[in-house]
Amino acid sequence: MQRQNQTGGDQDAIKRAARLALWTLAWVASLALARFGPSLLWDSQPVASWAAVATNLAVGIGWIVAHARYLRGIDELQRKIMQDALAVTLGVGWVGGFAYVVADAADLIARDPNIGVFPALLAVIYMIATVVGTIRYR
Amino acid sequence: MKNRLKDLRTERNWTQADLAQHVSVSRQTINAIEKGKFDPSLPLAFRLAKLFNLKIEEVFVDDQ
Repeated sequence: MQRQNQTGGDQDAIKRAARLALWTLAWVASLALARFGPSLLWDSQPVASWAAVATNLAVGIGWIVAHARYLRGIDELQRKIMQDALAVTLGVGWVGGFAYVVADAADLIARDPNIGVFPALLAVIYMIATVVGTIRYR
Repeated sequence: MKNRLKDLRTERNWTQADLAQHVSVSRQTINAIEKGKFDPSLPLAFRLAKLFNLKIEEVFVDDQ
């Protein structure tokens, strides 16, 4: 019975992780559509572009809900690792972002900021912080 | 926080995975608790103590 319950628990965890992975892929796909669609697919038609942005937002909300459900489903150590990683990501994003804004305002940065790099950078930081946390509690 | 988890587990010839299954957490969590790297929440500490038919203070000892 215990084994069956555990197997069921494992299957639930796999399902939650798979659901999160699917939502993540869907969000990345909708983001790519909103970003490259106007120039490659529909020749900058505003209605199509707005539809792509709205789709990206809707899928993004689904991704946030899936992430919250995933966090609720994992055990307390895994949740701590994730929360620590999110804290590091938020901190780095905040500190790094404001440092960039201040440096840009002082004309210390010659190149215009590419805002698209910022979320990608945060994603990399989140992944690194998660791996470091997992190793730390191994 | 020190604990007797490893002793109690090995007395019953359980692996970390077995113990993890009994209290519905990951093996990594049991390993981290045994090594003193992670202090469990109160509900998990109670589940572990109940599993071994002990009081919580007989499993976990405050070392501060």
